[in-house]
Parts: sequence; C-alpha cells; structure tokens
Amino acid sequence: MNRRAFVNTTAAAGIVTQVPLLAKSEKSGKKYRTALIGSGWWGMNILREAMASGTIQVVALNDVSDDALEVAAEEVQDLSGAQPKTYKDYRELLEKEKPEIVIISTPDHWHALQTIAAVQAEAHVFVEKPTGHTIQESRAMLNAATRAGKTVQVGLHRRIGPHHVSGMEFLRSGKVGKVGMVRMFVAGRGGKEQPRANEEPPKGMDWDMYCGPAPLRPFNSRIHPGGFRHFLDFANGILGDWGVHWLDQVLWWTEEKYPKRVYSTGGRPVRGTPVLNESEQTTDAPDTQVAVYEFESFTATWEHRRYAENPSEKHKIGCYFYGENGIFHMGWRDGWTYYPANSRDKVIHQDSQLQQPDGHNLKLLWQNFIDGIESGKETVCGLESSHRSSVLPMLGMMSLKLGRSIQWDGAAEKVLNDPAANKLLKRDYRGPWVYPEA
Amino acid sequence: MKFPLLSLRIPFLLLWFLSLNLPCLANDWPHWRGAQRNGISEEALPDKALKNIGGKVVWKAEIGTGFASCSVVGGHLFTTGHEGGHDTIFCIRTADGATVWKHSFPADLGDKFYEGGPGATPTIEGERVYLLSKWGDLFCFQALDGKVIWKKQLRDEDEVRVPTWGFNGSPTLVGDTIYLNVGSAGMALRKTDGKILWKSDRGDPGYSTPLPVDLASGPALLLSNGKAYLAVERETGKKLWSHRWITRYGVNAADPIVKENQVFISSGYNKGCALLKIGNGKVEPLWKNKNLRSQFNGSVLIDNFLYGIDGDSNEDAALKCVDWRTGEVRWSFDQCGFGSLLAIRDQLLVLDHKGSLWVAPASPEGFKPTSKGKILDGKCWTVPVFAHGKIYARNSGGTLVCVSW
Repeated sequence: MNRRAFVNTTAAAGIVTQVPLLAKSEKSGKKYRTALIGSGWWGMNILREAMASGTIQVVALNDVSDDALEVAAEEVQDLSGAQPKTYKDYRELLEKEKPEIVIISTPDHWHALQTIAAVQAEAHVFVEKPTGHTIQESRAMLNAATRAGKTVQVGLHRRIGPHHVSGMEFLRSGKVGKVGMVRMFVAGRGGKEQPRANEEPPKGMDWDMYCGPAPLRPFNSRIHPGGFRHFLDFANGILGDWGVHWLDQVLWWTEEKYPKRVYSTGGRPVRGTPVLNESEQTTDAPDTQVAVYEFESFTATWEHRRYAENPSEKHKIGCYFYGENGIFHMGWRDGWTYYPANSRDKVIHQDSQLQQPDGHNLKLLWQNFIDGIESGKETVCGLESSHRSSVLPMLGMMSLKLGRSIQWDGAAEKVLNDPAANKLLKRDYRGPWVYPEA
Repeated sequence: MKFPLLSLRIPFLLLWFLSLNLPCLANDWPHWRGAQRNGISEEALPDKALKNIGGKVVWKAEIGTGFASCSVVGGHLFTTGHEGGHDTIFCIRTADGATVWKHSFPADLGDKFYEGGPGATPTIEGERVYLLSKWGDLFCFQALDGKVIWKKQLRDEDEVRVPTWGFNGSPTLVGDTIYLNVGSAGMALRKTDGKILWKSDRGDPGYSTPLPVDLASGPALLLSNGKAYLAVERETGKKLWSHRWITRYGVNAADPIVKENQVFISSGYNKGCALLKIGNGKVEPLWKNKNLRSQFNGSVLIDNFLYGIDGDSNEDAALKCVDWRTGEVRWSFDQCGFGSLLAIRDQLLVLDHKGSLWVAPASPEGFKPTSKGKILDGKCWTVPVFAHGKIYARNSGGTLVCVSW
C-alpha cells in the first residue's frame, strides 16, 4: 500500500483551478438544420447530444444500411417527434437537403471525401477522429474547410473533458518540473484469431458504398458492425483509434508542433498472420505496437497490446508524463493523478467527469462547436490542431509498414530523404472515387 | 402432476448411478430456461436458502470463456466454454464438479465488443445432448460418454448465414425434431441423424431460442430474426405471422413469453417491449413502450406480472416489475445492475452482474430481498439454473460454481 496519503478531488480543487463552465454562446436560439452521415452507434451518440442541446433540427440521416437508417430514424422520431428523411448516398443528401451542419461518423477512410463535400456544400462539420486515413487526405480536409470558411469540430473530446482541462493546467503549472518523457498506452484482451467465414452483405446494405474509396473486399461480420478499426483498408488500428486521443493530449501540452523522427515496430504475434481470401478473413491491424515520437525537447512513446490487458498496472490506459519532480498520469475514467518523486509529498488526484454510459465529453464538445459557428472563433478541436494530432498515428503506421524510422519535416509535411515513405502519404483510391487534392 | 413423478424418484435415483439414460424428471433443468421453457422452476427452494442465499459454494469448475448457461439432468450437468481457439462441451458430475467427459473443437472466440465464447446452452433429451456452436457446428453426443453420434456444419447449407455474434439460441427438442434459430425463420432437423426436415430463407436469425407453443392454429414455433419476432408452423416451417421489430445490430435476443393468445417481446439497445395479440394469422400490439428493454436475458411471468432486467450491459440497468396487462412499471430496483434472474416457484432469484445472488418473493408490491450472498467474481451476465436443490452459476471467464445449503 502506498504510504502517501491520497488527496481527494476536493483537496485537489484547492490546488488546481476549477474547471470553468463553458461560457454559453450568445444564444441565437437558432436550430441548425442538421444531417448525420454514418448513423451507427457512435453517430447516434453525437446526434443525441446535439438534439439534447436544443441547437438542432434533424433533417436527414445517411447510412449505407437500410437497417441502420430505420433504427436511427425511429430513435430521432421518438426523441423529437419529427421523422427525418433517410438517404443511402451522402451526395444525394447534401444536394437535396442543404444542411447547415453535417455530423460525420463513418469509418476513417470516408472522412476526407465526406468532410470536403460537406464544407463545399456550405455546411459546418462535426467529424469523428482521426481526421483522415492517409496524411494528404487530412491536409486536403483542412485546406477545403479553410477555403470554404466553415467551422469544423473533430471528435477529440478529451481536449474539453473537465479532468483533461484541469490536468493540463496542473502540468503547465510547473509542479511536475521539466518533462523529458511521455508514455502513452492501452491494452485489451484477446488471443489467437481464427478466420471467420465471409458472408454476402446483409440485405439492404450497400457494401460497395461502405468500402467506397478503399479496396472492395468480401463482407464479413468482423468488419461491420463496429469492427472496421482493425482493418487497415478502413482505419489505422488501435494507434489510429485510441492513440490519436493521447497523442492529441501530448500536442496540446507541448509547444512543439510535430516530432522530428518517428519509429514504430510491432505485428500480430498473438492473433496470427492476417487471412483474406474468397471464403474467410481475419482482422489485419497489429495486436502489438510500439511507436517512438522524438521531439526536440522530449520523447513520447506509444504502446498497445490486444491481449493480457493491464492487470499489473494501477492505471490501465492513458499517458504518463515523467517530470523531474514526479509522474503525472492522465487517464480516462480514473481521472488524473500526480505521483511526486519525493515520498514526503502527497499524491494529488482529480476524478473524471464523463457522460455515461460511454464515458465521453460530447455535450461540452458540441456546445463549443455551436459557439465556434456563432462567434467565428476556432473551436477547441478545430481542424488545424486535429490534423496535426491525426497525422501522428499515420506516421507511426507508415514506419511500421516500412520497417524503418522516418524523419518528418512537419512544416512541409514530407518525409526527408525517403521517396518510398512519401508514397505512403497518400494511397490509390478505388474508382470512381478520386483522391482529394490538397 | 408432480406427485406421481416424485413417487418414482427412488428407483430412478438408483438408476442415476448406472447411466444417464433417463426420462426427464420434475427437478431437472434439461435445457435453456428450464423444463417449462419459462425460466421458472417448479421445485421448492430450500427454507435455508431464504435466509442464506449465498449458501455454500460446494465446488468450482473452470469451463472457459463464454455465456452459455447449464442444463442439468439427474446427477449430471452440461455446459460449454472457450479456451485457446477451441470450444469445449463439458459433462460434469453435480455431486463434486468432476468432469465426466468433454469434447473440444476449433472455434473462433468471437469477442466482438465483449469477451466472446459460446452463448447457446446444450440441450439434453433422452440419452443425448445437442449442441449448436456460434459458427454453425451442430453436434449430437451420447450423454453417457460424449461419443459423437452425428455432427454437421450448418454453414454448408445455402440458406444459412451466420449473424454478427454467431448463433446463440439453444437447440429446442420436441418429439423427434430439433428446432434451431438458424436462417430467417428457423430450421428443423431429424434428431436421429440431423437430416434437415425444413429450412427457411437465407437471412439473419435473432439470438433467441425457438419456443414451441400451441397456438389456436396448431403447433407453432416462436422465433426472432434480425428484424422481427415471428411464428411458424412446427411441422412445415410455414410462416404464420411476423411482427416487424428492428433493433440496432439486429439483436432480438430475449425469448418471447406467451400467455394464451398474447406474446410479450422485448429487446435492448433502447428498443423496448410490446405485448402482441395473436389471432387468425394476424398480430396486433396491445401496448408498446420502453419500460422493460431486455438486451438478452428474458423475463419471467408470474401471475400477471413480468419480472426482468431493463437496460443494456453498458448502462444503469434495473430490475423491474411490469404489469402484463398494461405495460406499466410496478416497481424498479437498481441495485442488481445488469443481472439476470429465474424464479423458483414464487421466489425470484437474481444474480447481479458482480456475482451476488439475491432472493425475494415475486410480488408486484416491491422487491424485498430476504437474503443476499456473493457466489462469484468477475462479470456475471449468464442466468443461473436451479436443479435438485442446487444452484449452478458461471461468470464470463468460465468459473462455474455449485451452490448448496
């Protein structure tokens, strides 16, 4: 047992500035005509918060699956009394409904085309993290939104969560001392993966549209619903999912804008070699990955495992900031905790304040989005910063694929002296989809 | 009806030691949701249990990851779990938890959004055990020694599509026929050799267990699929009626509950529940609301009141009592979390998601537990069973306990 007393939230509040309640926007009272692209579990989480805020009217829903559309439309009707229109093609939705806000909650490989189409259709956009699937998609999103003059909020809700805000203030207060190293981590359970039989897509699902610009592969229930993150055609594995949240915290904390060198290693020692053939498939994202981000003034590491979980660790997920004076842990449901190196000093802790059941801060993030639209000010998770955070997992995946470290020129967004690496800044799209030009 | 059977128990007790070749007895729990397929045991709960529900964990066994429940006939229990790329069915001696036989076969863990492992419970009939795996392996074992009498892979049939979380409804045996919730409206096979008697169109089944009922139109089977609750003729598989009931991810998992010409259906994911009136091939809802949303474990009906868990595993679920006639909530009790329950005559036995058992009389006036006791650690989503005076319960990690007094 730790000899040091544990200081609870109330005591910590004396040390840490109280989290300010977000200033309410000049309430326009306006109800924005809003559409949802990608009407699954997470998209509906966002839409529910948006509806609860009283700032929107849901005009339309889009999904490639009839079933998802029907379930989502029924819920919108239950909540609002109004029946939204439903579309299976987001382009038709944008053209016919002319929404003022578009929420995008599709797999990563769709974010760029849909965000760009939405801002070009004069909509403000709330898009799920990470921004893109390859780096130049993300850059094209940023440029398109800037050109269109539209407000974009990216779903990196940990930038606005109360314990993240107070934790960041604590880190910046200097109490931790000079930080030389940050370690980000997440772990899950799992074992050897048996291939699962492919199936034809469920009735009423436009599987070709789901795959969209990515290669068309046989349908498999490992992919949908909810499994796309573990298929590298559609996303960037755990590093692109959880990693982007913690890397975003690191970029929020540091004054540096990007790392100068990135190295990643890993693979699938436990789940096994990926399988993809006509009759069956497995996932293909790494079950083990370590990535090192070398900044000017500190080193940051990422590690994930999809087995063994983290029973030996007090904190199961998050990032440790190692400073001269002690270790600061930024967590999720476990809030933040500071462990001083000096055993006479007290441990300081603050609980999380999350929305249940899924432990997020979408309510605050949505309010900030509306404030951004109405004030013209940059949102907390605007595309500029979210692009920089989303690039980091993609750099990690590039290094993993190449099997060597890459030197990153963040200003030019190019890998130095490595033409093969620079080819991975974009990828070929499956026709008729065209890779967005920055 | 119980008394003549009880009087036969003594000679049968002798036979139990000799073989498993026995007709089902009143105190057996031969398949999912028990002998009456309603989650209610007709056996009496020992008086001691009313005061000390935790009882004594008399033995523990490790059966592997999963959510399948148990079937108990005589002195033997059958259940299944997953470990290291294989599913295993166990025959366990209820006296001491020793494994009598087991049979393993390769299977994917299927840990999508949860721990995974098998969800369907083995079904015992006569001297045979029937098992359906998540991925379509259907086995008929000799109960005595685990010899495989026949097996088949249902995915070989063109009409069969494995739903997102695999097959989780248990086999239902009626007469000489096995009924499965496979295909868009069920499947029937001959129990002696697995020959398919009828099958339905290709489509996602739901996750409920086929429920045999006698409707006014004749012998029927109630099923769920990815988009509806429905009834088919048992003999032919011909569709009698279907009530569209679309739920996120197509998860219609809780077994329907039937009383006369009324059917109660319920799903989680904030879908809700409804009471349907069946007549002349038509089905009409008498009421529909979100008062009792069953993600997968079904409720029990005692007199005119439903008792069940409302809400999903990832939210604040509650034990509720709902009036069958009106759909109104009589009471709600939030300390059991995402648990499960069965009834032993008029006593409710609730296993909460953290492994404590609660007992309370089933009453529309409120949940007034007379005792509570911890019997398991870890995640407990699987409904326990009660047979021959003992409770059997498991957690997701595969620890199975026998509780006695």
